[in-house]
Amino acid sequence: MGIVVRLDEKLHERRMTLTELSARIGITVANLSILKTGKAKAIRFSTLESICAVLDCQPGDLLVFDPSLPPEE
Amino acid sequence: MNAPSDALTLSRPLLRGLIVLNLLYALAIAVLFVAGLVAEDWVFDALGVRSGEHRPRLILGMRAMAVVGLAAAGVVDRVLRQLAAIVDTVRAGDPFVAENAGRLQRIAWWVFAGEILRLAIGAIAWAATTKAQALDVDIGFSFAPWLAVLLLFVLARVFAEGARLRADLEGTV
Repeated sequence: MGIVVRLDEKLHERRMTLTELSARIGITVANLSILKTGKAKAIRFSTLESICAVLDCQPGDLLVFDPSLPPEE
Repeated sequence: MNAPSDALTLSRPLLRGLIVLNLLYALAIAVLFVAGLVAEDWVFDALGVRSGEHRPRLILGMRAMAVVGLAAAGVVDRVLRQLAAIVDTVRAGDPFVAENAGRLQRIAWWVFAGEILRLAIGAIAWAATTKAQALDVDIGFSFAPWLAVLLLFVLARVFAEGARLRADLEGTV
């Protein structure tokens, strides 16, 4: 997919683990892991809002479009 | 236990029971058909076919009906088995799968085929009936089964859409 999720980088910047983020936004580690590894098909605005609020960033910091990647089927 | 889960618990043995009953029904028709070939006079006398010029026509009609009846039992078997498979997915907790949309569509086609066979039985009865003796079967035209076919096709589409949305939702975080 052309959309790259940069959650791992942001977590690293903020010195925060996935488990910690999970506890703070109330989304399971399993679901966040799906998002982090780019396996998610969609992201809710509410999820994006919670992550941005906790990591103090913008949606554009988390999601990047890479035209060189093949589009999703 | 609430009413829906009660109904779900009951539906499985009920469907299995109906499948067995339907197989017994098919077996009875097959036995009657074969017996009619082996001991024609005895069987058709017992079935109330009177002697006369009309007798061969009536016997042919009854044999044709038995063949159509066997086909109808096959149709009912397919419907019941598809329905049992759907009930199993409900029990497993995941009915909104693409397979169930396909199953509902197949049920719709089988019910449609069943109605055609029912009309065929009516046509056979009409063709075999003579002034001397009528082949009396209670086959009247009814809108309800055709409405059921339409409803099943619509439901199949609804299920297909539901399964697609469900698949979408599964990947949503």
